[in-house]
Amino acid sequence: MKKKMVSVLLVGAMAASLLAGCGSGTGDETTADSTDSSTTTTTDSSSTSSDEPYDLEDLYITVDGTLTATVDSGQKEFEEQWEKAVSEKLGHPIDLHITQLDHSDYAGTVSRTLTTGTPGDGQYPDALIMSATMLRQYQTTGMLWNLKDAFDNAEFQSRITLPKVNEGLQTTDGKQYGFAPTYGNGCVTYIKQSWLTKAGKTVDDIKTFDDYYNLLKSVSDGKTYGVIAAGYGKLDEAPYINYMPEWWQGAYPSFYQNKDGEWVDGFMEDATVEALKRLNQGYKDGIIDPDTEEAGTKQAREKFFSNDQSTSEMAFTYWAGTWLRTLTNNMDKNQVDTDLGDDRLVMLPPIQEIKDTWGGYLNREAPVWVITDDGDGNDAREQAIFDALFETMLDGDKVQTLWTYGAEDVHWSTKAESFDTYKWVEDDKLTDEQKATVKEAKDGKSLVLDKHYDYADGEFHLKPSPNDPNTLWKKNHLDPVLVIAPLTNGYADDDALVTKGNEFFTENCVDAPAAASCDTLTNVEADMVSDKTTWMNEAVTGQITAEEAVQQYKDKYADTSAQIISELNAQK
Amino acid sequence: MSGKSKTIEPAPTVQVRKKPLKVRIRHSMGFYFMALPVIIFVVLIYYWPMLGIRYAFFSYKLRSIHWVGLENFRMMFSQKEFWQAFINTLWLSTFKLVLNTFAAVVIAIFLNEAINLIFKKVIQTVIYLPHFMSYAVVAAIFSLFLSPSSTGFVNETLKSWGWISQSIDFLHEKSMWQPIFFAINLWKEVGWGTVIFFATLSGINPELYEAAKIDGATRLQRMRYVTFPALSSTIIIVLILNLAKVLNMFEPVFVLYNSRVYDVSDVISTFIYRKTFLQPIPDYGYTTAVGLFKSVVGGALMLGCNALSKKVRGRGII
Repeated sequence: MKKKMVSVLLVGAMAASLLAGCGSGTGDETTADSTDSSTTTTTDSSSTSSDEPYDLEDLYITVDGTLTATVDSGQKEFEEQWEKAVSEKLGHPIDLHITQLDHSDYAGTVSRTLTTGTPGDGQYPDALIMSATMLRQYQTTGMLWNLKDAFDNAEFQSRITLPKVNEGLQTTDGKQYGFAPTYGNGCVTYIKQSWLTKAGKTVDDIKTFDDYYNLLKSVSDGKTYGVIAAGYGKLDEAPYINYMPEWWQGAYPSFYQNKDGEWVDGFMEDATVEALKRLNQGYKDGIIDPDTEEAGTKQAREKFFSNDQSTSEMAFTYWAGTWLRTLTNNMDKNQVDTDLGDDRLVMLPPIQEIKDTWGGYLNREAPVWVITDDGDGNDAREQAIFDALFETMLDGDKVQTLWTYGAEDVHWSTKAESFDTYKWVEDDKLTDEQKATVKEAKDGKSLVLDKHYDYADGEFHLKPSPNDPNTLWKKNHLDPVLVIAPLTNGYADDDALVTKGNEFFTENCVDAPAAASCDTLTNVEADMVSDKTTWMNEAVTGQITAEEAVQQYKDKYADTSAQIISELNAQK
Repeated sequence: MSGKSKTIEPAPTVQVRKKPLKVRIRHSMGFYFMALPVIIFVVLIYYWPMLGIRYAFFSYKLRSIHWVGLENFRMMFSQKEFWQAFINTLWLSTFKLVLNTFAAVVIAIFLNEAINLIFKKVIQTVIYLPHFMSYAVVAAIFSLFLSPSSTGFVNETLKSWGWISQSIDFLHEKSMWQPIFFAINLWKEVGWGTVIFFATLSGINPELYEAAKIDGATRLQRMRYVTFPALSSTIIIVLILNLAKVLNMFEPVFVLYNSRVYDVSDVISTFIYRKTFLQPIPDYGYTTAVGLFKSVVGGALMLGCNALSKKVRGRGII
């Protein structure tokens, strides 16, 4: 029996350790909390001399899905060309190692990597991408390098056209832990032109929320809906309200600085109650697609441009610029409103209620690149990373082109060439012209010529995507329109639709509130977001009233919220 | 012949001297070498990670690790969400186990009575199939079926019949989530659960049925007095063996639950998952403490089941 007891205890302990084991190979245990944000004085590495040269031979970077040159889409060639170009600049060879994480669980995987890894172990990133919220969470942990001096002395400074983007990243004590090569971008509301025509309206008729509501209501019949989004509000991702801005209007269901510069809890404000009431009415009236609650961005957009428009929606608020092209192309692929070409979607200017509160669509805080601090008190390594990665990323020429458009002769080229792209069309919808270009036929569909491209020698142009020869490559990591220091080599993709989309957003946007971050918020944020999402969903679907949703939040989090606000206001 | 009886002398006991341990090891050296890879594997994969248990007594955020004693346990026991998850785990697992076992027994008995062999085989195959689908696929299918939007088959059907006018958000309603959860699990696992009962049924001596028939027993009486008693010990064994695993429920809940039904769906494993993977900067010490608690309770349950098993079938499960 004794033996069995022991074995049972061992088995139990073993099972428990499966979880604990995840972190068993990590750094030193310390009774003194060396990195805890509450007690740690962050090492100001920039103050340490970095005169001695440091030859960076290997550079490990961690990226999310915004590096569109993925492993299946020419990442190897991008990497090789980057190594060649940067080695030439630095005067010594450098090996780039890219770890591309799943976009949807990026923050979680980064957290685990930084927890279990050790600088220099080959897994631990030298530099990585972070959202504005992640930056706020990590910049007080001592794990990131203060790159303020390096940034101020960077060669690209003289070419920066949007200095405000990085100025906004500075902490109250003048440090800067993130580098934003582009501005944030934001979402605009797209309306299907064909549906608008059917409703007998033009976009100029939609000035107020009531106009917008009535328009959506006129097309909602229980099968089709007015609007879909990835959640009624995306409360885990700043700026939270940008997928349904007409419904949230001036409400902001999180911590933000009001006009007086004081931090407040937006979820407790009356504006949130009103927004929840509007959403509830829209849900009750069958205007908001109920799939909104569970849909991710992928499901929402796929339903919007689905070839089955009988269960689709009229409006969809999504990213500006390049995404206008992507949404239009996907509608084209699915043969939705083929006759309208690039005019399938029309962008709705911000309604009056948005103009009166925020002033326009929200331009989110820019995602940033950060450099990890190895904690050795010497800046040489970190400065070398800055020089190799960030300095070259905005060199205006070769390397910036790699980050902007991808690898030469893989994603783009200046060589004379001609090629065709093809698309699938249902046989009964084939025109005579298309019938003459059929390349392949199956399941009642034919692959027919979509577009013919012809380029002269020296003419910059994008090539077909490596993983889809029937789609033209769009861009790599940096959006040429959003970048803070433009290319100087004259390479530009002249997609009128993308330009139109970007111009529209730029004319109609304002900067989103800065993300909040303090110790208490970091500790409770996940629970808070989860609870707020639950109450929001319950209020929208009518399980509870909007007032009850906010009251439940107050009941549970009033003290915590007050503590967070006091910590945030103390940072000023 | 003398009438004197002969007494049988007991055979002298032979004293076998046990060989020294060294000698025994040397003799079996080959076997020890054969076992070595397995021992190394078990130590590395199962026992080495157990060192991580110590983090239950630490605060462990990013690279900052410091001793907090029993603070993680104190925090855990003071959280309403934790107790809710614990109660849900016991309720969902136990009821699912009883329901699935009961349904499997009923189906096995009725199919055993079926005379048409083709019908029997077809039904068996049909009810086995869902077992081979992953929970992720099952959840995707049912989410689509039960969706409140116009693509939801159930809502659209009920609307077309005029039974409802507004869609029902089945998977987001607290009152409906558990019945749907049990129904989906029943659909997926009941067929597979019948296998063991079929095996038992095929082992029942046909003479028992013949004897009962001669005695005038009806078909129902034969089921009641022959089939069911024969199955009873198998039923108890199945229940006992599965009872030890009730705290391990994760996947069936994880793929179907959502934040609106946490009160009725959250189980210990999903609670640990959320606290570990959905926190921006998780405290691994805290989640290890919850994991340790789960394992201790799981261990106690296993011991209890072992004692039960010994009582019922004369031997333990460990």
